[in-house]
Amino acid sequence: MSKKQTAEAQQTRDRIAGDSVFGYAALPGIADEMLDTQGNVRPVWQHLLTTIGKMDETELANRFARADRYLRDAGVFYRAYGAKDSSERSWPLSHIPVLIADAEWQAVSRGLVQRVELLERIAADIYGSNRLVAEGFLPPSLVASNPEFLRPMVGVQPADGHFLHFCSFEIGRGPDGNWWVLSDRTEAPSGAGFALENRVATTRAFSDVYAETHVHRLAGFFSAFRDELQSRKKHPDDRIAVLTPGVANETYFEHAYIARYLGFMLLEGEDLTVVDGRVMVRTVAGLKSIGVLWRRLDASFADPLELNQSSHIGTPGIVEALRSGSLSIVNSLGSGILETRAFLAFMPTICRHLLGEDLLLPSIATWWCGQQPEREQVAHNIEKMVIGPAYSTRPFFDDNGQSVLGSSLRDTAKASIADWLSTDGAKLVGQEVVTLSTTPAWVNGKLTPRPMSLRVYAARTLNGWKIMPGGFARIGSGADAAAIAMQAGGSAADVWIVSEKPVERTTLLPAEESFTRNMPGSLPSRAADNLFWLGRYIERAEGALRILRAWHGRFAESADPGIPLLKDVTEYLEALDIDTKEPVPASLLANINSALFSASNIRDRFSADGWLALNDLAKTARKFQATVQAGDDATHAMTILLRKLAGFAGLVHENMYRFTGWRFLSIGRYLERGLHMTRLLGHMSGADAPDGAYDMLLEIGDSVMTHRRRYNVNTASLTVTDLLALDPLNPRSILYQLNEIKTEVEQLPNAFSNGQMSPFYREAMRLHAGLAVMTPEAMTVEVYQQLEQDLYRLSDILAQTYLG
Amino acid sequence: MLYDINLKITYAYEAPVSGGRHIVRVLPISLHDRQRLVAGTVTCHPAPEERRENTDFFANPSTMILFRKAHEKLVIRMQARVQVEAQALTADFSPGLAGLPVEIANCWTLDANSPHHFIGPSPRLPDDPGIAAYARDVAEDGMTIRQIALAICERIHKDFVYDPKATTVDTTPREAFKIKRGVCQDFTHVMIVALRSLGIPAGYVSGFLRTIPPAGKERLEGADAMHAWVRLWCGTTSGWMELDPTNNIPAGSDHIVVGHGRDYSDVAPVIGVLKSYGSHKTEQAVDVIPVK
Repeated sequence: MSKKQTAEAQQTRDRIAGDSVFGYAALPGIADEMLDTQGNVRPVWQHLLTTIGKMDETELANRFARADRYLRDAGVFYRAYGAKDSSERSWPLSHIPVLIADAEWQAVSRGLVQRVELLERIAADIYGSNRLVAEGFLPPSLVASNPEFLRPMVGVQPADGHFLHFCSFEIGRGPDGNWWVLSDRTEAPSGAGFALENRVATTRAFSDVYAETHVHRLAGFFSAFRDELQSRKKHPDDRIAVLTPGVANETYFEHAYIARYLGFMLLEGEDLTVVDGRVMVRTVAGLKSIGVLWRRLDASFADPLELNQSSHIGTPGIVEALRSGSLSIVNSLGSGILETRAFLAFMPTICRHLLGEDLLLPSIATWWCGQQPEREQVAHNIEKMVIGPAYSTRPFFDDNGQSVLGSSLRDTAKASIADWLSTDGAKLVGQEVVTLSTTPAWVNGKLTPRPMSLRVYAARTLNGWKIMPGGFARIGSGADAAAIAMQAGGSAADVWIVSEKPVERTTLLPAEESFTRNMPGSLPSRAADNLFWLGRYIERAEGALRILRAWHGRFAESADPGIPLLKDVTEYLEALDIDTKEPVPASLLANINSALFSASNIRDRFSADGWLALNDLAKTARKFQATVQAGDDATHAMTILLRKLAGFAGLVHENMYRFTGWRFLSIGRYLERGLHMTRLLGHMSGADAPDGAYDMLLEIGDSVMTHRRRYNVNTASLTVTDLLALDPLNPRSILYQLNEIKTEVEQLPNAFSNGQMSPFYREAMRLHAGLAVMTPEAMTVEVYQQLEQDLYRLSDILAQTYLG
Repeated sequence: MLYDINLKITYAYEAPVSGGRHIVRVLPISLHDRQRLVAGTVTCHPAPEERRENTDFFANPSTMILFRKAHEKLVIRMQARVQVEAQALTADFSPGLAGLPVEIANCWTLDANSPHHFIGPSPRLPDDPGIAAYARDVAEDGMTIRQIALAICERIHKDFVYDPKATTVDTTPREAFKIKRGVCQDFTHVMIVALRSLGIPAGYVSGFLRTIPPAGKERLEGADAMHAWVRLWCGTTSGWMELDPTNNIPAGSDHIVVGHGRDYSDVAPVIGVLKSYGSHKTEQAVDVIPVK
């Protein structure tokens, strides 16, 4: 340190006492990320700390609010599991990033690269020649009794020769200041997308500090990984996809985010089928081959035929595709065995044996109790140990309380621990308790030390393994390290690797002057199905809202639900499961929720704005259900809901790219609107229509003004029929819907094959032509009934052609 | 003994199914000085659109078949000629329960016959305290592994009633143990759980039984469908032995082996994933005839 720096550090210390920022002090005997052992602020933190120190509470609160607003607007969430159900929670960001000096990070990176190369060698051995067991480096029972050991994968060589491509590590800093590896994640590591979102959110709060500090960017890491995946495709037409367990998964948001960020398809097991040993995705344009799958579901669920037979989220035949070498998968099925906690005990020896060197980054000291000497070691040092399941794949502070802290036991319990160790030793490991370092978090208006561990990512790239310069820090909710788990109230912080020199600024946008305009890839059938139904549910909700608004408007005037018109409409709605006795009927809500569910299945195709608008609609409808009264109040509520619904539809209409996905959404809306109007006219426009029926039809069809302008007469059967059924220019008429469907269908894949119209196209044309030549006089109840049947059939043909 | 074996498995579906992908394990295997497959074929009707032969982890041959077209009925036939050697019961060199863990730990291998695969719980067979207590009750101090296994085999045969109506293919060993009824699969599963609870490596054998007994002998239970029995590891010197708890006998020249596994899920004759909307009915017909 220069004299000037020393003086600055002294000044900083002087201002410390009592200040909400500078009053920060490390806990005794525990390493801290911001303060060194002498209590000096580490150089990389100086700038951030002084900047925060200059701010008043309002400014800091405003900055944190900016970060939170970003996360909310981007729709970042994770799923928390309660005792009975699960719910979406907003992402718990700890706003103060963790800063680590580049030089220190280089050492950590070297250690992790060595480690992931070692893990690759171990995986290749376990699923290959098994020398480690034969030569006594790995107890055979730890493999054979391991639930992560997938026997069907034994002897299967990965298509590109590598078992591991994307891993993560949980690392922590011990009291001596050195980093330790707490656990390895090789199965389907999650959180890399959250690291990206943490970064964006944190820079919203500290854009100035970020700009003035040499922080390594994350994008280069992802683009290098993407390039490696691209290079593994055997055919140019092969697709790369992220395979997700689906919306119920706790990190589904991240799967969708990563897929969108890297430009890969987001697929579920049922999107895939295996044909002649090749994995194919079902799309609206037929089967398309998949070359590389980045799986985010546990391996045993990937194939219900050869792996877990009870899996409902897998694809039968995946294992066979891997055996045939046509599919590359990240990471190889069965690589989860490397996460086994007991393996940590054998890593040091295996490293020396396989690589001829010591582990550069030590693992947390671990003893497998299946062996007598190790068992005794653990029993004798029980005070300093945590005992846990040998096959657990989670670090001890994040395993739902399956591990026992030796020091927390009373003497009587210690005797039973010894007994437990000797009867169940092979299923147990002892691990030395490490105290994690602390890092500053903003708690109750003050910087407070909180325990933290880092999750760091490693990706195989064309230039060997690369470590993400950053990651995400998991911050404890209290002083206890066990509270780091997010399910236990922990939070996450961005990690800044700070260089002394300016850093390279990569982004995932191509830097070249020229570019190619890629058309979006084929639309998976399931995504098309969800879009189609989203369109239908939204339109169904709108139809119901319009009828209900008209009903309550008239009810407000007469206060008598028994007048013929209201009674008639009530009967009509009953057939649709809508009960007019409820001001906001339950089935309307169910409809909106169905739309929300369809949308949640395709979040990778949706703008965050659209998603928020739809959520807002659902939330408002729920709120109204509890408060709204029949009559005027309900009319008003329906108007608000209609406006919110139009807001969503407008966002979609203005922002969605006009490609195949858009067409399915549109066809869904047109079809449902056509059905709605057909049913309604069929019910209300006969000779025995009750008084006021035609006016009400015009109101529901949003055509009162048009009718007044176009027909110089009072409402009558023929003019209303003309306007609502047969007018090609009225966007509410049946003919208009058929015309639009016809136009969209022309653009769909396989609308023609060998110059012939597809059955779906032909049917759409037939319905359109049939209605276009009708006159209002000919529109009888029977015609409407036939048309309704025809529209249902059209929907069926669509499903058979594209959505199966 | 030389046998001709005919197997016919029929699936009749309530509604047509399509996209069925199955793995079939019905063909007898060749086992060093135990049995030899002279000739054998597996055929399907309708003919599958895809078919591939494989050998699984436990060295069992398996056939993958795939149907894309809708069908209402599936018939799988297996025909084989197999030479089976009589198994002489050698002197008992198996250790006691106390000596077994060391012998297991000294097997530094993970090949298909390694005892390590057969100690822990397996997909269909979680640990069960009730069956463990039952096993402890039978095992007495001073008994060898073989004596314990024979005693448990006898005990199960005595306590359980052979009753094809009592259980299904999905019945857990806990349920079968509770009602003390079932078929060969249930007897075998319960015995495996019992042996494992004592630390004895034990696995599942799927196969066939001779249909018509030799003159003067009783017909064995389980001969009208595919059969199952237990395989257990008696230490380094004695190796594996096979016991049939359904009939309380060691598996001999009347038992023809199709496959080895940890439990039924590893060697089920037909497993499959299909898109179906209704139930289905299954029929099995087996003939195991000595060749004169």
